[in-house]
Amino acid sequence: MEKTLAVINGLEKVGLLSRYAIGGAMGATFYVEPLVTFDLDVFVVLPTGLGGLLTLSPIYETLRSRGYTEEGECILVEGIPVQFLPAYNPLLEEALTEARETMYADVSTRVLRVEHLLAIALQTGRPKDHERIQLFLREATLDHAYLAGIIKRHGLEKLWGKVKK
Amino acid sequence: MTPELERIIAAKEKRRRDLAMLSFPEKVAIVVQLQKMVAPILRGRGREVRVWQIPAVMEQPVAVDAS
Repeated sequence: MEKTLAVINGLEKVGLLSRYAIGGAMGATFYVEPLVTFDLDVFVVLPTGLGGLLTLSPIYETLRSRGYTEEGECILVEGIPVQFLPAYNPLLEEALTEARETMYADVSTRVLRVEHLLAIALQTGRPKDHERIQLFLREATLDHAYLAGIIKRHGLEKLWGKVKK
Repeated sequence: MTPELERIIAAKEKRRRDLAMLSFPEKVAIVVQLQKMVAPILRGRGREVRVWQIPAVMEQPVAVDAS
């Protein structure tokens, strides 16, 4: 996975994305037991393009020009299907801003904080998100005060109340 | 609940906690092993999935104390 992350770091370095962090099941795996997944979800803050348009196209075009191929919603980067997901709401923007820096072997990367992963799962609300929330509550070390702030800032109190019942 | 069942459940919980404490690369190696186990089942259901192609050094089994 080092090579994949190095490629993504390169995209950030040349300004094709402003900031990225790993989320989804692989982000969760950083904090809990390993979860089976087949793609690497990479949340990105995109630079504002001409006319204020936010698009993933330059990232895909660059990767295609380097020989990486698309597979469904993903692009295969050094053997790993990567799905780039733009930060489409304030919760994701905050999650990216506050993502934690870490090392994967010799390569630096970022992973969303577990409290943000939990809040995103809460907001998304699919059955698998609810399962993941329970997993975070059981296995992850959560900063509950920090989590409470996220819940409040992003209007997730009702959903959180249901989970805690 | 019988003492034996309690012991088994406690051991499973401990194993989950131990797995959660592994390093990120060790966890990724386990994810790849899980992919290899699950992929044939998903393909049998008609879902196309790709097992990650990462260097073999990362795919060594990871020892976890299951006691």
